[in-house]
Amino acid sequence: MFKILQKELKSFFKDRRAVMLGILMPIILITVFSMAFGGVGNKGGDNKISILVSDEDKSATTKMVIDGLDSVKALQIFTTSTDSALTLVKGGKYPAALIFHKGFSDSVKDIKHLPWELKYDAAQSIEMGMMQQYLMQNLFSTVGKMMTEKMVLRNTRKQFAGMDSMSMLMATLQMKKSLKTNSADMDDLQKNIMKLESTPIEKTKDNQGLIQAMGGTAVMMLLFSLTAMGGRLLEEKESGTLKRLLCSPLTSRDILGGKMLSSMIFATCQLLIMLSYSSLAFGLIILPKIVPAFLLIVATAFACSAFGMFLASIIKSREQLQGTSTLCILIMSAIGGSMVPSFLMPTWMQQVGHFSINYWSIQGFYDIFWRQLPMSDPIFLGRVAVLTAMGLVFSITSFSLFRRNVASMA
Amino acid sequence: MIEVKNITKSYGKTQAVRGISFSIKDGECYGLLGPNGAGKSTTINMLSMLFPPDSGDIAIGGIPIGKTNTEIKNMLGIVPQEIALYEKFSAWENILFWGSIYGVTGKALHDKAESLLKWVGLYDRRKDAITEYSGGMKRRINIACALLHSPKVLLLDEPTVGVDPQSRNLIFELIQQLNKDGMTIIYTTHYMEEAEKLCNRIGIIDTGLIIAQGTLDELKTQSQVNDMIIVDCTNTPDEKLLAEKLKTTVVVNENRVSILSNDSKKDLTHIVTVCTDAGYEINRIDIQKGNLEGVFLKMTGKQLRD
Repeated sequence: MFKILQKELKSFFKDRRAVMLGILMPIILITVFSMAFGGVGNKGGDNKISILVSDEDKSATTKMVIDGLDSVKALQIFTTSTDSALTLVKGGKYPAALIFHKGFSDSVKDIKHLPWELKYDAAQSIEMGMMQQYLMQNLFSTVGKMMTEKMVLRNTRKQFAGMDSMSMLMATLQMKKSLKTNSADMDDLQKNIMKLESTPIEKTKDNQGLIQAMGGTAVMMLLFSLTAMGGRLLEEKESGTLKRLLCSPLTSRDILGGKMLSSMIFATCQLLIMLSYSSLAFGLIILPKIVPAFLLIVATAFACSAFGMFLASIIKSREQLQGTSTLCILIMSAIGGSMVPSFLMPTWMQQVGHFSINYWSIQGFYDIFWRQLPMSDPIFLGRVAVLTAMGLVFSITSFSLFRRNVASMA
Repeated sequence: MIEVKNITKSYGKTQAVRGISFSIKDGECYGLLGPNGAGKSTTINMLSMLFPPDSGDIAIGGIPIGKTNTEIKNMLGIVPQEIALYEKFSAWENILFWGSIYGVTGKALHDKAESLLKWVGLYDRRKDAITEYSGGMKRRINIACALLHSPKVLLLDEPTVGVDPQSRNLIFELIQQLNKDGMTIIYTTHYMEEAEKLCNRIGIIDTGLIIAQGTLDELKTQSQVNDMIIVDCTNTPDEKLLAEKLKTTVVVNENRVSILSNDSKKDLTHIVTVCTDAGYEINRIDIQKGNLEGVFLKMTGKQLRD
């Protein structure tokens, strides 16, 4: 197996142009994509944005507010506990959690600063911006209305103490009208009393666009490079060297294993170069995260190289491989979030994206560099495990198909 | 050294090999002669253990081909029909790689590589990439790569395809040298002169069957072929008409007519008369003494180049 590995690496590095392209292409693409993703901020369509709600107050007021939010077409509300909400947002499963702390109802009554807060996933800040528009619009029309009425009632009672009930009603209506036109009072209500603190769960200085570009482009380019390396298997078949290898004492496992190992080494190097470039050119902080990053890179490289071998095992010629691999990679990259961030896609498409290597790898990069998850975090380790499992499935399938589909044609 | 008993192989509905049997003695050079698509390469591929036969048995060096084939694989040197070399690598790198996968390493590998490159006359160009070599030079390296582990049996599958006459003669000399040194050789070709020149025994293969085998003399006796008269005409003669009138095997290939004859001197006048009467203008007539082409024509009713 190591003879094949040695030969493969030697053969690859002999082609200096291919080496240059393998390194330069992703670097150029990272540069372009990071600039492009830096300006992303619009969302179209009628996709529902999911939001978690935790009601610690459990009052009629909070129930009314939550029901109001649930009626907004653009939002999909899921109620859960605060701990669970924070964990889910931290893991990137939901973009945000709205938490109603205890005493919310009393604060509405007393027109005090409201104990509520919005916690969001830093990696989905773009989606958050859009969600806040829907959220605030609704909250002001429900909570704002309640508080305005309380405020009017309180002021009327204070200013017109001792009036009969009819005069008090007339005065209240007049106060309501004047408050609506009094922007200073409304500003105070909105900016101070009703202020909703929005804070990301983990703060990071790294640029989201850069991480999206780095993760997305890196995996997409890797798939292209490794499929091309898989194509060398078919090239060997066409040139007759595969036949010669199969007639030698080497086993099919040695041949395919050596090829896959060389692809993995190349892929790991390529990803490390891209990561280093992102650090040197764009200031991505990698040193404190180098161990989880390396783990993710190795898992990604394994999944991608196994995918390349899988394609080469099921396809009969290099021409077929070129067309099929381009189609597969573009689809995987599109649904997996390499081209467009996943959260901009419809929900069903985001679910389909789970079947791509790109999705798990990109989310892994977000975990490390944006969500700042530690390496021991089960969410991060889960993504590494999924990538490894994908690599294993592709490898096992390639090994079993190799002898039947490739070796028999040699 | 090699025993092949009634092997068959099909690709889908096409039966490429339909029950071939032969045996090859130690140190013998056995030729498998047949046209393209006759089943030569399929037979060689089964002997190389690239795939097993659908039925029948193969034993090499007394060991039947089965699940544990490493010992047999180490006994075999394979020269595929294709130039199975890494084009980006130099001759030296190719030779070292192919030797290393057979477990030859270190000084032994380097010494053997050096001696083989000198033997094929390419030591001075060992550092050149294969892409810079001519077709004949590539073929010689292709052979050298099969010899690093000093195999007992060498399987050569049409090793001279696309080679100029000078390089072909060089390759013949190399093969003759190997055979002289005691190596058992199986040589497939569709060039009868190669089989005649190199092989002690020849198996004529057509449509997946060995239709005759033996030494050249044995084959001539078996087929009762003496001479073959080749007539070049200015137009294309009618094969059926000539066969009816001459009452022998006739094959027409464009303007060339090949006619089997037991007595060429006696038959020549009759052939000229028949051709002239039929309106065919004769350009040239050649008389070939009994050879493999005649044997093949007699046995299959077609020419080897068909």
